[in-house]
Amino acid sequence: MANLQIANARKSYDNKQVLHGIDLHIEDGTFLVIVGPSGCGKSTLLRMIAGLEDITDGTISIDDEVVNDLEPSARGCAMVFQNYALYPHMSVEQNIGYPLKIAGVSKPERARKVAEAAALLELGDYLDRRPAQLSGGQRQRVAMGRAIVREPRLFLFDEPLSNLDAKLRVQMRIEIKRLHRRLSATSVFVTHDQVEAMTLADKLVVMNAGKVEQVGTPGEIYRAPASAFVAGFLGAPAMNFLPGKVLQQGNLHILPNTEIAVHSQELHQWTGREITIGIRPESLLLGKPSAEGIPAHVDLIEELGGSRVAYCRTDGPEIAVVMHGDLTVREGDRVSIGLLPEHLHFFEKTNGQRLGGGQASQQAQASRAMHVAFN
Amino acid sequence: MTTETLSLPMSTSGLQSRKKRRQANLAIAGHALMIVMSLFAVFPVYWMLVSSLRAENHIFDTALWPDAASLDNYAYALSAIPIWRMLWNTLVVSAAVTFIQLLTGIAAAYGFARWRFRFDKFVYALIGLTWLVPIQVVMIPNYLLVARMGLLDSLPALILPHFASAFAIMLLTQSMRAFPKEVLEAARMDGAGSWRTLWEVIVPNLRGIIASLAILIFISTWNEYFWPLLLSRSAENTVIQIGIQMFITQEGTSWGPLMAASSLASLPILLIYVVLQRQVIQSFMKSGIR
Ligand SMILES: Nc1ncnc2c1ncn2[C@@H]1O[C@H](COP(=O)(O)OP(=O)(O)O)[C@@H](O)[C@H]1O
Ligand SMILES: [Mg+2]
Repeated sequence: MANLQIANARKSYDNKQVLHGIDLHIEDGTFLVIVGPSGCGKSTLLRMIAGLEDITDGTISIDDEVVNDLEPSARGCAMVFQNYALYPHMSVEQNIGYPLKIAGVSKPERARKVAEAAALLELGDYLDRRPAQLSGGQRQRVAMGRAIVREPRLFLFDEPLSNLDAKLRVQMRIEIKRLHRRLSATSVFVTHDQVEAMTLADKLVVMNAGKVEQVGTPGEIYRAPASAFVAGFLGAPAMNFLPGKVLQQGNLHILPNTEIAVHSQELHQWTGREITIGIRPESLLLGKPSAEGIPAHVDLIEELGGSRVAYCRTDGPEIAVVMHGDLTVREGDRVSIGLLPEHLHFFEKTNGQRLGGGQASQQAQASRAMHVAFN
Repeated sequence: MTTETLSLPMSTSGLQSRKKRRQANLAIAGHALMIVMSLFAVFPVYWMLVSSLRAENHIFDTALWPDAASLDNYAYALSAIPIWRMLWNTLVVSAAVTFIQLLTGIAAAYGFARWRFRFDKFVYALIGLTWLVPIQVVMIPNYLLVARMGLLDSLPALILPHFASAFAIMLLTQSMRAFPKEVLEAARMDGAGSWRTLWEVIVPNLRGIIASLAILIFISTWNEYFWPLLLSRSAENTVIQIGIQMFITQEGTSWGPLMAASSLASLPILLIYVVLQRQVIQSFMKSGIR
């Protein structure tokens, strides 16, 4: 168990900087997830924590001890790799026990700890098998067993589920969560999958292009994304972005030709300026064509089982709307897309920084009521 | 409708069987060719064995089997030169060279595969170039060196120039470079140092290629002729290839005993081929040598 402190960490490869000053604090027992698009530097950061990459600048401390110059094994971190990285020539038992063997743990003690980890991960029946004789999920569990037996201060995961098929991925995700509940070990989990990130994280870090965009609980980040990037990255289907202009009294003109009364205090200082308006597909309402809302026609409907997503053509950008219940809308129908002011997010047009809006979770009830009215 | 669906599969099956027959004919032709070619390859070995069984005055007979097969040539060869001693010497030299070349090869390859250091590519290229240097270029310097060390006519001198082989180093470097990086990193995270990682993680996983390499080194050392010829003085301190050559004298060649000694010399190699057949074939394929 440990806390982890990252201060102004930078990384350059051949004068090309890929991490531009990362600051993070991770409390004892937290499950921290780092999420971001491919190539944004997640693995690099994780490998710097592990000690597999040099730290170009800044410090990384575990339990208030700077570990910049410590060998990986001396940092007390265990890592689970994307492609498992098991020792092909060793049995499951030997794989899990190898770190203990190196640490000089006696044979009986080793056997006991391996058995314990194997039981926890339901690997008891496979101890004599080689990695090649295991399924992907089992291999991943062996990799976790190898991490667990060391009783590390810190667990590091680098996209450990991306090589599994969809069903197994969900299953292993739940297992990892359960394991964390049980061991409450400080963990850093890297993924590019936003669903994985949202479901696993106690604390979520969204990264983009070598920088931290936002840190918070999944709920906080979802409700109040700090930038248009974060807003667009988290949530599926992705948030809709519409160009807009702030009018007097904080009212909004949504381009090209919808006006909406917002009365937002936050927007007053932006009067007369163009902004980006973000709205999640699940916060929009489809209704019969009317003077209110954005006129549109339904181009395509995607069936998701529990819900359906309508992709609508407007005079502006395409807008995705999640349809709840048994709304009887068909492809080709003319509709009006209803907006609730309290669900709008506002971002600066040039740099995507958040200006306000969107915190109105208590109004969700009200929107449901409206929804019925639209039907 | 029904007739159509019925007739369709029949016509395709007719087509398929014709296709199959053609493939079978091709396969038969291919096998026949390979049998003929392997006869060409095996015949000299057979001829060596048969000649070793012929009496002296029948040595140039062309019959496929001698009228009176005898082991006289073997008896003579064994009495004329210390064959057992020479076989033992060859075995010692070949085993030692194999072991040492594997050791130096593994160590050097690990260095090249795992670390970047100053002039590493240059040094690697130099090692590659030594492969292209013919023995005629180095034999005089090597001879002088060995002579100054006082090792002429001794087994260590036969081993000494073979402490490292460019071929072994390069082959092992390639396979170590191809070794999965994550597994090495996992070992590092688990606390394994470089030495331990080499012997406990890399080498066990490369045992296929190492075994192949060992076979290649062993066979080529066993068959080496030139360097021992240069170095050896006495029959007790030389290898079997030189022993065989002792039946070729200025007065003439004793073909019978020569064939007998050759048969004995190739016995261990034949044994390797038979016992480790699959490994040998793989090793030749892997190294790109045929
Ligand atoms: N060894 C390396 N040498 C040079 N550039 C690298 C190296 N490793 C990663 N990078 C670069 O650093 C950036 C971040 O990579 P990475 O941390 O692997 O991203 P992620 O894990 O988020 O997909 C990428 O642009 C990548 O090209
Ligand atoms: Mg990565």
